Parts: sequence; structure tokens; C-alpha cells
Amino acid sequence: MDAYAIGVLTNIGLFSFVALSAYLLLIAGEMSFGQQAFFGVGAYAGGILTALYGWPLPLAALAAMALGALAQLLVALPTLRLRGLYFAMATLAAAEMARILFELLRWRRSIDGELAGPDGTQGFRGIRWVFEHGIEPMHYLGIVGVLLALVVGLFLFVERSKLGATLRGIGQDPELAAAVGIDVQCVKLGVAAAAGALAALGGVLYAHHNTYIEPRNFDIMLGVHSLAYALIGGLGTAFGPLLGVLLDIGVLESTRFFQGYRMIVFGGLVAVLLVFRPRGLLDERTVRWLRQRFA
Amino acid sequence: MAKTALCLIFLAIPLPAHAQTPKAQMQCRATGEDFVYDCVVALTRRGKPLDGVEVTVGADMPSMPMAHQVRPQKARPGTKPGEYRVRLDLEMLGEWAVKLRLAGPVRDQLILHYEFDSKGAAPTRK
Repeated sequence: MDAYAIGVLTNIGLFSFVALSAYLLLIAGEMSFGQQAFFGVGAYAGGILTALYGWPLPLAALAAMALGALAQLLVALPTLRLRGLYFAMATLAAAEMARILFELLRWRRSIDGELAGPDGTQGFRGIRWVFEHGIEPMHYLGIVGVLLALVVGLFLFVERSKLGATLRGIGQDPELAAAVGIDVQCVKLGVAAAAGALAALGGVLYAHHNTYIEPRNFDIMLGVHSLAYALIGGLGTAFGPLLGVLLDIGVLESTRFFQGYRMIVFGGLVAVLLVFRPRGLLDERTVRWLRQRFA
Repeated sequence: MAKTALCLIFLAIPLPAHAQTPKAQMQCRATGEDFVYDCVVALTRRGKPLDGVEVTVGADMPSMPMAHQVRPQKARPGTKPGEYRVRLDLEMLGEWAVKLRLAGPVRDQLILHYEFDSKGAAPTRK
């Protein structure tokens, strides 16, 4: 496999984490335009821990996930009482606040005589853990793939469990869910924390794949895309957001014909799908039909 | 699969960071064809030219990470020590994060930020 194909596949994997994070909130009935903030929290936290303090990547990833969960929990506590568009706007505002905080973040240390660490708008260079450990791009793709498969497996397990039914119940009718004794606020806070951790995991992997991050990497474009992937791919199964990423990055990005015009095609695709298939290609009805046909 | 599992285990071993980081500078000029540039990369380490490295050059847009990826091109050695030449075929004008992936005697990835216009490219970061 050539370097370009490996790069595109790795990007598909990395985008999938943040898309799944948006999807998790969507099935619980909340539309977040702010998952890029937690992706950024994970990227900065993981990068700081490995590049400045020499932590092993798995430990740094766990710490970054905990921080991502905590950050999303802090945002969710005041915003989950909002509904629909108001919640979406609040998450967007929180994400922009986070991006501005990244622009102000200066955390520099001398490593082997060179200053390293986040330097505000100048970005954060030298997140070299993967290179220093001799991990080849193909193997890094394997690591991203294995972690993504574990996450998707966990999603599929939860979706078939009582918790999955509870989440979809809350997403479709929170009043009815509360009436049958479900603590809606508590479940939604748990979902928010899990979504934050998931986005942060994607962020850690992105920072170590790219070796460089900057605040602009975590702006509104990433948030809109992560939401759009879930909406294009479908809300019927965790494979939906993956299909959305695959369509955009896999087909549009890697097809030379679309390059430069990709955003126009992507925007049109979102608009058409929202009209004709508001819950995406793999919506609940399609997934049910597929299960009946192939199970 | 086994190699991936080994990588995951290997990742848990701490190593010292930032040993002899290479530095890079780049000069680009437009070829006359839309968004196509001929670039010369100068690689150094500890102030000395860095030769014999396999350099692959790609590019990404900072405002949309992981998308708008330019197909990486292998650079060929230039006429001076530590010099590498490559042709970049971008999608549009504007700021690009040029990624230099180094392999061979040195394994690293360097990111250079350049603003590409109709004439050439100028660095946007210190």
C-alpha cells in the first residue's frame, strides 16, 4: 500500500472517532457542533504528556481521555438543560472558547536544549513519540484500526443492550423516558462524558500521527464535519458515521476529480440527504431491514 | 495483527524525546501551471547539511486537518549538500502545512507552514 493510501485510511480512522462521538450524542437526542473541542483537548493533553514529560502513549491516551470526558462533562452540566438549536449553539460557543484557550496556551519546556510545547497560535511542534519508537505508518494505521474496531464493537454491544434501548428512548422522547423512571439527566451526562473521551482519543491519535497541532485544527469545520458524517452515514447503527467518513474522505478526498470542489459536493450531499433521508443512509428502518434480510 | 499488537506493547516503553531534531527550510516558485510549484528543501541537523535521507513531501490545509490532502511526492537529491527537490501539485492557493517525512538514516516528520500565491511561497511561521 502506498503512502497516500495509508494516509487517507489513517485519516478515515481518525475522523471516525470524532464522528462516533457526535453520533453518540445524536442517538441520545442532542446535536453537538462542539466535538472538535474535545478532540483538541485530547490532542493537546496527549501531546504535552508524551513530548514534554516522556509519558508512554497508552498512558497519555488514557489521561487525555479522562480529561476529554471531564471537559465535556463541564460543558454538559450547564448546557444539557437546553434543547435542540439552543444546545447546538451552546456547544458551538463552548468549542470556540476552547479554541481561543488553545490560542492562549503557552506551555514550553526545554527538551534536549530545544524549547518544545504549545506556543499559542504558533502551534505545538515535535510530538514525535511515534517516530522515536520506530512505528511505521502502516503499523500506526493498524493501531488506529484496532482501537476503532474496539470502539465500534463496544458501540454494537451497547446498542443491543438495555442501555442502548434506554439511549434511543431518551433520544426519541425524553419526557416519556422520564415517565418510565429513567434518570434522563444522569444518562445524558454519562453519554456526554463518553463522547468527550472518545473525541479525545481521536485527538491523541491525530496529534501523534501529524506530529504538529495548532488551534486552527480544531475550528468549526471539524465540528460541522463530524456531525455531518453521522447524519450522512445514518443514525441506525455505529457503522453509519464510519460510512459518512468513508464517503467524504475515502471517495471525495481521494478522487482527484473532486479535489478543490469537494466541499461543494459534500455540502450538496448533506443538503440532499437531509431532505430525502433525514436520519442518514443507514437509518433505523434500513438497519432493521438489513438485519431481517441477513441475520 | 501480531505486528500491530507488538507495536501497542512497544508504545508503552518510554524513550527520551527530541534527540538531534533536523531542521528544514523550503523555497518554492510557481511553474506557470495552476497551483503547481517547484520546491527546494534544505535539510540540516546541528547546523550541518543532512544528506542521504529519503524525503517524502505532502501537504495539508491547517483549517481543515485530515482533508485536502496532497498526494505525497518523493523528493530527489538536489545539486547542493542537504538539498532536495520536489514538485508540489496543490489544490488551491493559500496557507498549506507542508509535511516532510524523513526516512532512512533519520526518521522524522517536519511541518512547514507556507503561504502559496501565484508566484511562489513564503513561510508564515517562525
